[in-house]
Amino acid sequence: MAGATIDHIFAIIVFLATLLLFVGLFNQTIQTAILYQSHRNLATECSDLLDSMLLNPGTPLDSATTTFWGMTNCTPTTFGLQDPEFVQYELSPFSLMRLDYSSASPLYYNMTNMYYSNLTVGPGKSLLVPFNEVVNYSTAAQLLGVNGTYGFSLTLNPIMTVSLSPSSFNPLSLTVNVTGNGYPIADANVSYCLINVTGQATYPSYAITSGTGLTNSQGQAFLSFPGFNAAQNSYAVVAYVSSSGLYGTGNYEHNLYNNNYPVPLIADFGNGSLLFANSADVYGGTSPAIAYNATFVLLAQDFNLRELPLTNVTGNISPGTYSNVVIPTNNTGILVVTYEKDQNDSGIVLMPWGVSSLSFPVVFGPNPLAQNWVTTDTRLVTVSSVSYQAKLALWSLQGYQVVS
Amino acid sequence: MMRTIEILFVIIIILGAAVIASLYAFLPQPQQVSPINLQRLALTTLEMLDSDHSLSQTAFAAVNDPSWSQLQTALSASLPPNIVYNLTVYDASAGGTQLYNIINSISNAQSMGISSDVATYLVASSNATFNSTPQKIGANGAGGTLYILNCSDSNGWWITGYTAQTLAQDLYNLLFPYFQVTIMVQNTTQFGQILNGTKISTSPFENVTNAVVVNTNGEAVPMPQSYNTTGYDSGNSSYAKYSYLLGKATAQYNWTWVSIVGYPLYYVSNTGLFPNNQNGWGIYGMMEVGASGLNAFFEGLNNQSYVYNPTWITGDSTSDPGLASVYLSSDAQNNCNYYGIYPSQYQTATRALPVSILSMYNLTVTSYILQEVDNAWLPGAFYKHAGAGALLALGLARTPDIRLTALGLLCGFKPRLFPSQYGATGTSRLVVLQLSEVGGV
Repeated sequence: MAGATIDHIFAIIVFLATLLLFVGLFNQTIQTAILYQSHRNLATECSDLLDSMLLNPGTPLDSATTTFWGMTNCTPTTFGLQDPEFVQYELSPFSLMRLDYSSASPLYYNMTNMYYSNLTVGPGKSLLVPFNEVVNYSTAAQLLGVNGTYGFSLTLNPIMTVSLSPSSFNPLSLTVNVTGNGYPIADANVSYCLINVTGQATYPSYAITSGTGLTNSQGQAFLSFPGFNAAQNSYAVVAYVSSSGLYGTGNYEHNLYNNNYPVPLIADFGNGSLLFANSADVYGGTSPAIAYNATFVLLAQDFNLRELPLTNVTGNISPGTYSNVVIPTNNTGILVVTYEKDQNDSGIVLMPWGVSSLSFPVVFGPNPLAQNWVTTDTRLVTVSSVSYQAKLALWSLQGYQVVS
Repeated sequence: MMRTIEILFVIIIILGAAVIASLYAFLPQPQQVSPINLQRLALTTLEMLDSDHSLSQTAFAAVNDPSWSQLQTALSASLPPNIVYNLTVYDASAGGTQLYNIINSISNAQSMGISSDVATYLVASSNATFNSTPQKIGANGAGGTLYILNCSDSNGWWITGYTAQTLAQDLYNLLFPYFQVTIMVQNTTQFGQILNGTKISTSPFENVTNAVVVNTNGEAVPMPQSYNTTGYDSGNSSYAKYSYLLGKATAQYNWTWVSIVGYPLYYVSNTGLFPNNQNGWGIYGMMEVGASGLNAFFEGLNNQSYVYNPTWITGDSTSDPGLASVYLSSDAQNNCNYYGIYPSQYQTATRALPVSILSMYNLTVTSYILQEVDNAWLPGAFYKHAGAGALLALGLARTPDIRLTALGLLCGFKPRLFPSQYGATGTSRLVVLQLSEVGGV
């Protein structure tokens, strides 16, 4: 009798253990399947969200009456980055300028008592937009309908990498290296202009020399400027490169003096007004007055660089003061500010009007590295003719219900 | 012992069920769990490479042309490193047994892996010309005659920067393909002839009845000398009665009367009749009629008795702020693309007609050129009378954009365009870009 009972108990224990094992095995399979479905759903959402950003210009939209959100100071009521004058994946270079880039810490300028979103890609190459005019990440997430459900990070990187480096200084020779994904791009057309500071008067003046070239099989083009002594001059060279439908841009500056310099700050997107601040007020450092002379170059439809006259283009900036200038165009281009402390100490500052004109990268949204599972999707887009790769990283903020 | 054996059987059955269920529980490939949308990536790649028509030029280039290697480099430079591609160009031929013939193919991989996706893109040769033949208005029914008032003996107003003659020529160039016959009315005498129902050309297609009459003089309207008496309301010292007779003629001949800008029929003009009269703004050869002109026109169109009515009926931004910025209707925007006429989508209306005229004069809007504002104002529309006759009125601020008039007429009549070379061979090539991911997750 006792043996039968023990046998019975043993059998039940083994049965229950097996049942638990069975449930565990099934649970594992179902859990994996649900996770797969969640990830696939996330990938679909990522693709949809990326398209809704890139194929929608957002509102307000009316560019003819200058109420398009990318060209004004207003907060958008729907979020989108498409250029309203185009279709398909053509993005507005001005909407991108209004995004709050998360990669850099903000700058404070005491003369306006405002903080500025700071996108700086090198000394003298920056885009500073006041915080009250930028669209921050949380606003964009709310407008896209993903606030609290998904986190995202939008990255736009130029497809072409155009780097310029001097190979000799007297006379100046520059090597232009054109690559994409590491591949050298041969037979690419190069259109360039040299902006040379010629400071011999109260205000610095400048001379613009333009030319064209072609890259060789290593993706290199050689620009030479006979009679130009780079060691004794401040200058900037801007190059636009095109090959088989791809467009890119690069630049190089050489400054004889950069202890302090004019810093262009955007004052009002609506009318294109800027402030020129003394760098000592923005970044600290020495604080003598500097004289400046500004001009604007834009990329014409034939991909040559053209100069556009500005008003109030010369002046002096002492610490504690600033000057105003207005860019009277909705075309993309480069604001070029030549400056001098005295006749021997000069320099040059560039600011893009539209992120594409200097191939500025865009990173909008938090860093996805700490997230549990991140899905990405990619599109190739053009921003004012310059080719970019747009990548969206998306992750769920609601966790995955099958794992704790 | 028996129970232990039974339990062992149960265990075997349960584990067997688990194993079998696992075999049938199909999970996707790792690449499919979180896939990149390769179709969209391929499409955007093709669109970007053709943004300056480089792809189109390469697709029609010889196979040994250097542009193919440049295209390959551009593809390698554009696509993420973990993507392999195969780009194939087909000739979309219409003849022969095979519809698509491979022209060339470039790839950076021998195999496209276990899964791939494609996008297709049709490119046109830069040497091809795609023509379209417009359907002639009136070809299958009545009408088909377009009269453009190009009167040398009358002046215009609110057409500042243009003359009636230059506007007439532009309108002719825009619209003559769509009408059976387009006739320039060279002077007010000829205009008087058609008002009497007499043809003024030898064209067999000219038909006064059902014609379209475009007044390119803006707010002024040419007046034949013969109407100096019959068109004059001596009791009110006004030529509003001439507008009344124009309305009657519009109904009698089932015309479509077109006012290109401003307040319709606000002045009458004849440099011979009024050599010393000016409109108050220094333009001689015209007399002011005022708001009574349009009211009288509507009375004539609606077959009412003539009553002098100087009431101002149009609206501007002071009447309704919405008129400061008016927009092309969706129908007009659609027709912009169809007919290839692109005036600005945003206009300013300072002489918008009120909706009340519809019930007052038995009119129906058959086509909106500009969107109605606040259910009260019609900045630009095509009106048809319940009996006969029609009016196209654009109550916009000066200076006129004559393309809007052309677009308005095309919106009203909607002639079709017949593409004539869609079936031509060798003018289109199909580019197929196939992408695949390499590497696992």
